[in-house]
Amino acid sequence: MFEIENLNVSVGGKEILHNLNLTIPKGEVHALFGPNGSGKTSLMMTIMGYPEYKITKGQILLDKKDISELEIDERARIGIGISQQRPPTIRGVKLQQILDLIKNNHPEKDTYITEMIEKFSFNSFLDRDINSGLSGGEIKLSELFQILVTQPKFLLIDEPDSGVDPERLVQIGEMVNECFTDKSYPKTRIERNTGLLITHSGFILNYVHVDKAHLLINGSIGCSGNAKLMLEQIREMGYDYCITCQRKGKPHD
Amino acid sequence: MTKKKISKLYSKKADEINLDSYQFSKLNEEHPQEKESVEEFKEEDIQSLASVGMYLEPNANRSGTYVLCNHDALTVAKKIKGLECLPIATALQKYKWLREKYWFKAVKEDTDKYTAAVGLTIPRGYFIHVKKGAVIEEPFQAVLYINVDNYAMGIHNIIIVEDDAEIHIITGCTNAQHVHKGVHLGVSECYVGKNAKLTSTMIHNWGSELEVRPRSATVVEKNGRFISNYISVKLPKHVQMDPFTYLKGDNSNAIYNSILMGFPGTRCDIGGTVLLEGANTSAEIAARAVCYGGDIIQTGILIGAGKNCRAHVDCAGMMMCEEGMIEAIPGLRAMHPEARMSHEASIGRINTGEVAYLQSRGLTEQEAISMIIRGFLDIKIEGLGPNLDRMVKEIIEISGHGEE
Repeated sequence: MFEIENLNVSVGGKEILHNLNLTIPKGEVHALFGPNGSGKTSLMMTIMGYPEYKITKGQILLDKKDISELEIDERARIGIGISQQRPPTIRGVKLQQILDLIKNNHPEKDTYITEMIEKFSFNSFLDRDINSGLSGGEIKLSELFQILVTQPKFLLIDEPDSGVDPERLVQIGEMVNECFTDKSYPKTRIERNTGLLITHSGFILNYVHVDKAHLLINGSIGCSGNAKLMLEQIREMGYDYCITCQRKGKPHD
Repeated sequence: MTKKKISKLYSKKADEINLDSYQFSKLNEEHPQEKESVEEFKEEDIQSLASVGMYLEPNANRSGTYVLCNHDALTVAKKIKGLECLPIATALQKYKWLREKYWFKAVKEDTDKYTAAVGLTIPRGYFIHVKKGAVIEEPFQAVLYINVDNYAMGIHNIIIVEDDAEIHIITGCTNAQHVHKGVHLGVSECYVGKNAKLTSTMIHNWGSELEVRPRSATVVEKNGRFISNYISVKLPKHVQMDPFTYLKGDNSNAIYNSILMGFPGTRCDIGGTVLLEGANTSAEIAARAVCYGGDIIQTGILIGAGKNCRAHVDCAGMMMCEEGMIEAIPGLRAMHPEARMSHEASIGRINTGEVAYLQSRGLTEQEAISMIIRGFLDIKIEGLGPNLDRMVKEIIEISGHGEE
């Protein structure tokens, strides 16, 4: 269970998230829609614990435990994983080094990592600097691959479908689904990890099932509901309609 | 050059080392003592030599070894066809042409007071001669070691790699732990023949009160290649050098790589100048420095004087503290309309976004910083071989933790 209660967040003294509430029950994946600049990525970075995103009010709970004060790496170690939309390029640091570190900390994941490298043909990525010289689609795959092999229990995936060609989107969808598959259960029982999937365009939802969607507008959750219905309306009317609708105070849930 | 003129230069205040405060006179009084085997060195000395990558076991992967411990020298070499290694004094006696053609020809004796001082001393150092066509597979190692306090070491090395020949020379410079003060002056002259290749790897691991002034120059003939690697395990109080490479022959090439970490109380001025005179010559300089304190000056100067020459210099520094200084000076001088040269320089603190990113993968902040610094310093250094490559990685690992 993942919960956000009455969250206010500021960056550089400016409040960007206001009184935000969100609940994602265990095993559910929720989509987060919203126009550009609505605060989607800021919410993800706040959940992950990036220090420039200051929580001024409220709390973030994972399995009923307040994680608001934890450092980024502490959050990663309790099972929060993030796939960023625009990750940094790190010169001289190879993907293989990250994998070696994961194997070192979790020797039991060695076989699984090898399987995933083969399944997603990732050998050619391993000896390259992190995100250096990669295409937009390759960056998404590299990000997803890293959270895939760390097997977090709560996943944050930011815009896996932006700037990606349709052929690559199939592969990305496959990897997102693999990320959300909970490996702690026997293979005969398919369970899902909990997660939040940001998408502006919604293209990824052609490949990945989500249980519910939320609309983020101006730093607050405007409405929540069935992802498919909400997406149809957004595609038909545009986010401009959502903004107008919110001003009128008509919830869709 | 008269001795009088050299003495005048010697007294010239070209830099700030006061050579008179060291036991410099000994250099003129004591003749080098030749040692027969490694066993003649003390165990603690042998351990110090290992700190700069020297392997003294008989089965070590080395074509030969030269050790200069104060004024005592050991020269051993495997019997490899085409390879000759001699103490420089012996070589000067044996080969008259050495003094006439190579002695103080690439590095001028009157360059500064340090070269002048070396010229005044009884010759110490090594002569390595790789004859035409000989490709020496295993590196030759040389170590220059001070284990007497307040000692002034002056050496003069000559390396000749004839046409179509190849060798890798690893030179380690260090001092015993009990040595507090000392000065190291070195003149190295290298001559790379046509189609020949010389790789020179210099590893410094100095005490905090040592002062170091190496002076080196390399002349490269047609299609020749010179690779210079400088790795500092620990900087001395003050090191200043500007190795010069003269790409004389067409299609010749030079590569300089340097990796160093500065700590409080050290000052390091590591330069490098390449003169590209031949047609189609090329050069690259890559300098990386991490500053935890002290002053670091990285200078890389490329002089494009040949037709269609091309060269690039890249100086990058990372500031890890508020004390200290890094000054990156990449310089280009074009003297031919078809010269193509470029430079880049960057200095900055560690990128907090990169640190946070790696933390999001589960690394602690310190682990993330270490990994980023290791990556920053990980320039591709060619020809080190597995042992030295591992050692460099260990050095980088230590530097990543900011440990002195």
